[in-house]
Order: sequence, then structure tokens, then C-alpha cells
Amino acid sequence: MRKDWETLQLCDRFFDAIEQKDFSTVEKCYAPELVMWHSHDCLYQSRESNLKTLRDGMTRMKKMRYKNRRIHVFEGGFAQQHTLFVTHENGFEGQMDVCFIGYTRDGMISRGYEYFDTGQIEKFLGPRPTGPRPG
Amino acid sequence: MTDSEIRELCNRFFDAYQDRRVDELAKIYAPDCVVWHNVFNREMSGADNLAALPKSYAGQRRRTYNDRTINTFAGGFVIQYTLHGVQHSGHRGALWICIVGLCKDGKITRIDEYMDSSKFAAWAGVEGRRAKAALSEAASGGSRAQRAEGERS
Repeated sequence: MRKDWETLQLCDRFFDAIEQKDFSTVEKCYAPELVMWHSHDCLYQSRESNLKTLRDGMTRMKKMRYKNRRIHVFEGGFAQQHTLFVTHENGFEGQMDVCFIGYTRDGMISRGYEYFDTGQIEKFLGPRPTGPRPG
Repeated sequence: MTDSEIRELCNRFFDAYQDRRVDELAKIYAPDCVVWHNVFNREMSGADNLAALPKSYAGQRRRTYNDRTINTFAGGFVIQYTLHGVQHSGHRGALWICIVGLCKDGKITRIDEYMDSSKFAAWAGVEGRRAKAALSEAASGGSRAQRAEGERS
């Protein structure tokens, strides 16, 4: 039997925890076997590597906010569409539209897929520095 | 709509897209259907999307929508798939795309499409500035405005 509310809670808990820089809760949302796929390289990232990426981002960014969340729960997982807003150390506010698809097991995310457009990466990271480049 | 009806509608949609059946797509889109692309962050009407398709299809020899993973939810579906294309030059390319579709009364009312435009050049087998324009036609049947924007960038 589908328990949509449990999946909804998991989804909210995960993204809220990233916003609040609550790394311990983020970790608990991931099943031990978690792998995360990203549309920019089409590779599966290991749990350990993905958590490191997340921790680095949560530490480095002044603020991360997942806005305009639209969550759809299906049998065995969820899809969340959102716009990720980040405030960088230099004050630049970046944004990116993302669709995150999470497959779940026993109240944890066991596999994730993230689709976004790196063709608009400057909107997210800020303008690249101009002038001569080293090397 | 039941889960199986939504799944069937999703497959009908992608089969029709693949087979260049604009007439079938017109039956699948609700009259007020809206199509949004992350690459342009702009909504277009289903009618505009369909009107652009014949020219869009002319861009490639063949497109196939493969590796479809479909999940249904109350009122819609999310599909992950690989779009394989063969250009007229013989160049083969692939894009990895996700679509969230909302459905009502046997028709699609909204499509949100997510893809990575940095892969457009590899998909189309063209260089940099032409790539975005090529893909706006290839993947989604982009509007004239979208194509113009791609050509400017």
C-alpha cells in the first residue's frame, strides 16, 4: 500500500535539512546503497561522494533555498520540481531550475536523479571572471 | 484517470512524437495545454508547440525516445528517457531528458521538460552558437522566438 504522506515527509525533510545546513538529517535521508545520477555527466555518484559534495556546498554557500517546490509522489518514490536559489560567499545570488527524482526504500532515498541545465551555469555560479586566464 | 490510463497516454504521446504524428499529438494535447522548457524558462502553448513540429522534424533523419522509465502519480506522470537522434549528416547524438506531465480527462494539460543544453552541440553535431537553436527545434519543437534566442546566444 502506498503511503504518500511518508514519502512527502521524506522529501520535505531532505530538502529542508539542506536549507538548514543540518547535515546529520541529510545523511539519515540516504539509504546505505544510495547512488545519485546527474544529467550533466550522466554518471552515478556514490553515497559518500555525493554527501561530500552536499556538505561542501552547504558549508560554502551563505544560503540555499528550494523554492516553488512541486512534489509528485508515485509508487516507490517522488519527483520534486523546484528552483534552487543560492547565495554565494561573494554575495552573488544564483538560481537553477531542477527536477529531482528520488526512489525510496524503507523511508530513505536509495537512488536519485537530478536534471538541470548546465548551459545556464552562469545564472547559478555567477559571471565567469574576465581577462587573461592562467596557463 | 487511472495509473494505467496515464501510463498509456504517456506512451501514446512519445510514440506519436517519435513517429512524427502531429495529428495524433493534437488529440493528446488538451486545448489549453502549456509546454515549459527549463532551457528557455518560458511557457508556450501546445498549439505553438505543434505548429513548430514539422519544421523541427525536418532537422533530423530520425529521433527515437528510448530507455523510457515512466512513473505515474495522481493526475500525471514523470518520465525519464534518452532521446537518440540521427542528423542528416549521419551524426548520432543523445540527450537525457526528464518530463513531468499533468493529465486530465485523457489529455495532457501541461508539460515541464528538463534537459541540459550544454549537450546540444554534441547532439546536433554542430559547434557552439548553432547548437541551442538546433536543439530548440530538435527536442521540443521550439517556437520561432526560442529559435531566434538560440541563434543570438
